[in-house]
Amino acid sequence: MRQAGAYSNLLCGGISGRTGPHSLPLARIKKIMKNSSEDVKMISGVAPIVFSKACELFIEELTRRSWIMAIDGKRRTLNKEDIASAVIATDIFDFLITLVSNSDATDANNTVIQMETI
Amino acid sequence: MNGAEGDKTLPIANVGRIMKQSLPPNAKISKESKQLMQECATEFISFVTGEASDKCHKENRKTVSGDDICWALCSLGFDNYAEAIGRYLYKYRQAELVKLNQNKLETAKDKV
Repeated sequence: MRQAGAYSNLLCGGISGRTGPHSLPLARIKKIMKNSSEDVKMISGVAPIVFSKACELFIEELTRRSWIMAIDGKRRTLNKEDIASAVIATDIFDFLITLVSNSDATDANNTVIQMETI
Repeated sequence: MNGAEGDKTLPIANVGRIMKQSLPPNAKISKESKQLMQECATEFISFVTGEASDKCHKENRKTVSGDDICWALCSLGFDNYAEAIGRYLYKYRQAELVKLNQNKLETAKDKV
């Protein structure tokens, strides 16, 4: 399983060895959490650590689903339209529909987006 | 990318690395798709944090905890992440304990 390296290397540096044991920088995660809402005042130390793993899992899942779209299109290069298609096809990614519609990613899928948002 | 913008999203290098590890070795990833994924992952954090923060607000608590994030993930349909996160936190805490004990040993040696 690909993930085995990520936490079995926790002591010696995780995926990159340069960002410390986590695959995403905790300070940046904390900043994004604070920016998300006025209500977010205090954040426990472990919350960004939970997110560093959750984001890794999220990126893995969305990437793999997007790759299926690329394969369907007989391509070996993942492009942003594949990500948009994966978002549209997956219920739990509904919160991203506006984001992928606002990027150019859905030019090819405009009809689908219009049907989704009506 | 200027400094101000860079602070609002996750670093593209880290995002790209995770994407690469999720794909077969012959896969290629366009730069634009890394940028879009960077934005999606950032939005994911905001979305889940918002849900967790609402819960804290309703319960009159000021601090968003790790448990609140886990609760929000389950509430929003990401319950399949909960088990992996639990294992990750366990390993992280074990590693922290090892470091703590190593520090104690070194301090004790210095005193002898």
